[in-house]
Amino acid sequence: MVLESPPRSRWASLVMMWVLAAPPSAARAQSAFDLLSRGPELGGMDVPSDLRRPARAPPIRIGVEQGLAVHPLEAAAPAGALASVREGAVEVSSAADRLAAEVPPVEVVSTVPPGTPAEAAAPEAAPVRHTDASDVPAGGGASPAGDGTGVSAPQSGVPTQLPGPLSPQVRPGAGAGVLSPGLPPLSPLQPRPSFQVLPAAASVLPGLLFHGLGPWLAGDGHTAKRLFALEGTGLGLIALGGVPIAFTGASRRTIAPLYAVTLAGFSVFGISALANLYSVTSPAFDPGQAPLTLPPLELEMGYQYVSDPAFDYGHFVSLGALARFDSVRLEGSARVSPDEGNTQVRLGGAYRLVGEPERALRGWDGTALDAELFGLYHRFPTEGFTASGVEVALRGRYAMARVSPALAGSFAEASLGASFQGYSYPGAVSDGNLSEQLLFTFGYGVWLGRGGPVRGSAMLYYDHRKDDFAGGMRTRGGGVVGSFGLRGRALLTEDWGVGAELQAGGALVGRLSLIYAVGGEP
Amino acid sequence: MGAVLALLAAGCMRPAENRAVRDSKVGRAESGGMSLEVEDGLAAVRNLAAGELTLWGNAPAFTARATLSADAPLDWLLTVRNAMPDAELVAEAEGGELLAVEALPQALPTVRAWRVGLRAGATVRFTVAPPDWQTREPFRFVALADVQEALPRVGDIYARMRRDDSVRFILFAGDLTEGGSREELLEFQERLEAGSKIPLYATLGNHETFSKDAEEYTALVGRGSQSFTFRGVRFSVVDSSNGTLDPVVEEQLDGWLAASRDGTHVVAMHVPPQDPVGLRGGGFASRGEAAGLVGKMAREGVDLTLYGHIHSYYSFTNAGIPAFISGGGGAIPETFDGVGRHYLVVDVDASEGLREVSLVRVD
Repeated sequence: MVLESPPRSRWASLVMMWVLAAPPSAARAQSAFDLLSRGPELGGMDVPSDLRRPARAPPIRIGVEQGLAVHPLEAAAPAGALASVREGAVEVSSAADRLAAEVPPVEVVSTVPPGTPAEAAAPEAAPVRHTDASDVPAGGGASPAGDGTGVSAPQSGVPTQLPGPLSPQVRPGAGAGVLSPGLPPLSPLQPRPSFQVLPAAASVLPGLLFHGLGPWLAGDGHTAKRLFALEGTGLGLIALGGVPIAFTGASRRTIAPLYAVTLAGFSVFGISALANLYSVTSPAFDPGQAPLTLPPLELEMGYQYVSDPAFDYGHFVSLGALARFDSVRLEGSARVSPDEGNTQVRLGGAYRLVGEPERALRGWDGTALDAELFGLYHRFPTEGFTASGVEVALRGRYAMARVSPALAGSFAEASLGASFQGYSYPGAVSDGNLSEQLLFTFGYGVWLGRGGPVRGSAMLYYDHRKDDFAGGMRTRGGGVVGSFGLRGRALLTEDWGVGAELQAGGALVGRLSLIYAVGGEP
Repeated sequence: MGAVLALLAAGCMRPAENRAVRDSKVGRAESGGMSLEVEDGLAAVRNLAAGELTLWGNAPAFTARATLSADAPLDWLLTVRNAMPDAELVAEAEGGELLAVEALPQALPTVRAWRVGLRAGATVRFTVAPPDWQTREPFRFVALADVQEALPRVGDIYARMRRDDSVRFILFAGDLTEGGSREELLEFQERLEAGSKIPLYATLGNHETFSKDAEEYTALVGRGSQSFTFRGVRFSVVDSSNGTLDPVVEEQLDGWLAASRDGTHVVAMHVPPQDPVGLRGGGFASRGEAAGLVGKMAREGVDLTLYGHIHSYYSFTNAGIPAFISGGGGAIPETFDGVGRHYLVVDVDASEGLREVSLVRVD
């Protein structure tokens, strides 16, 4: 589903995109995912283990491109060539499918580059039956590879390409805005770059200071150039905001915009540093991809431990619920300390301004912009006060493949907002103050799973807020710096998943949850 | 990376713990035949040698217990720097006998010196205090913070203070110097003695921790967290320079709060628990900890809270307690606030509590 975003959200999206990927200036090229989908990174040759499952295939939807099984011949084809492939017949079972099965078989012929011998390309060609019915289950044996993926054929006589089984399900026009500037298209069967120790080591030291060093040593000048540009942008923003803060003595009149600019600089700097690491370590594994679908409802229950010398609490029951609608996401969470009584409840939701709904990304790369609104209630019985308030924020996620194909499978995320809180003290103590707070986060994450039942993401992040369990770091500069964390959330089967988080600020926080998914497609 | 972050966080959980432990050693020394302990660490031992003892006072009134060895010299010169100008020394031997004390003239108003004859092998209790320290009459003091790199110009502030004869001492809420080095702190003290006619009682700021985690501050000035009384009013200063109170300090504060639940209590610290400009977030690292602290102080009847760290002037309330940020010592000023270098003059009374707080502009 393609959302029409209002002009204001387009502007906000543009600003966010610029912050996260300042360098892509005059770039006009094809989607990085397009490129990757034709290469082995996301489906050419290496079928991930989580997709090598028989029978339990997603339904086929006419009109939506589905991944195809890799025909052995395709894998055997020479680099640069796309074989002419005929897939095996699809078995149908439903009434609609039976109706569709009456349609004569149609041969699906992919483009054949000039000079490719047809005999060599498709010696074992088989007919493909084309159906017009919707939601055709692809049973066992539907595809020769037995991977369970379905097929939808184009109209008769129209040449098409056969995407690999893991290729992103890019909708028509979905990649129009996706940039991969300055790069020639990847050869479809070009082997992925191998993992190299030296660039990986150099990306840590001194790569944390020189953010393009890792890919540069690995021979990826394009990525290196972009990361150096990102780093420079980040440093520039830090200077642009930080220097005036210093010279104005953090004036109350100017601190909000200057702080936002400075933190944006830190976020770009941090993202480029982590992208540097990712670009040279990602060859060691298969990059993930944004989930095609996510369930409409997830329920969560777990345990949270907090180690904070300023508080007596430690053990918490963690509860959560997440409901996904077309453009709206509703969330609720509760943390309850059974012995000490500390209770935090957070309720709210988000409206997707830009990007596909989370519930059905279906080939979208995950780039999105959300407007968030939450309410927070936090009771501290031992300390004798209650905090409550509301918070609003914009949260954006940007697929880093748009910056460079070498970053496929990863994303950057940032949010900016404010909270307004009041503190109430039972008894004679009164305080009518309303305290505002700058909310700012940024992170670098990776998608978990590659189109199979495993769906999720993990992210290393910074959170500037000081009113949660982790609080800010207690540093020699006072309490300005927020917390750092690592958060992961993934469905491991169609119904069950796990969530985990480690956060380090003034306190250490660890949380592990079991997730139960209700409804939705696998 | 996660492990690195965890280690980093572990170091950030109790960054003030070492200072809190070190505080307990302030005022203790053994040398030249004397074993000395200043009660509650209200003065730092600057020099202890045979026949000579020099202290840096960090409270208007304090007591010390000294035990002499059998071969210790009997004639001692006791010097207290940063003392109340009218401070007197009372030397009391075990059994209550008062020992003879001879006051020596000094050129500087906040330096007091006495010659006292002690007995070998005996224990003596020194009390250094102005004669009126136990009365309950109202008085006036100055609140100041954040001199830092403006140390060469701090004399202007002292000169302005000299125009008011009624102020008794300066309560300083941290960031005496820019880097907390020994040289800077010594310069601060020299300029104080040269320019001010009243003593300055301080807690440390985050800038003091930049040098050896404030080891020099502890050695030259004294404790970061301490409590004293003057004319029936309790003053407690606590080390919040890392945007938190160490649990050791918080436990000490609990005791001081309980001790003055029904009296007048002024609490000062460097980093304010809550920044009145919340978007800036110049307060504690944990807003929960901050809310808990100010709520506790409110329940225990604290009358006034004084802070620094933010280089401007703010008047607000925290949990209903009158609160002032007065970071006007000259460090990079907050612009567009209409306030330059400044300090506060606070009128307080043991019975009535806070009477008045006045802003005094220096420039």
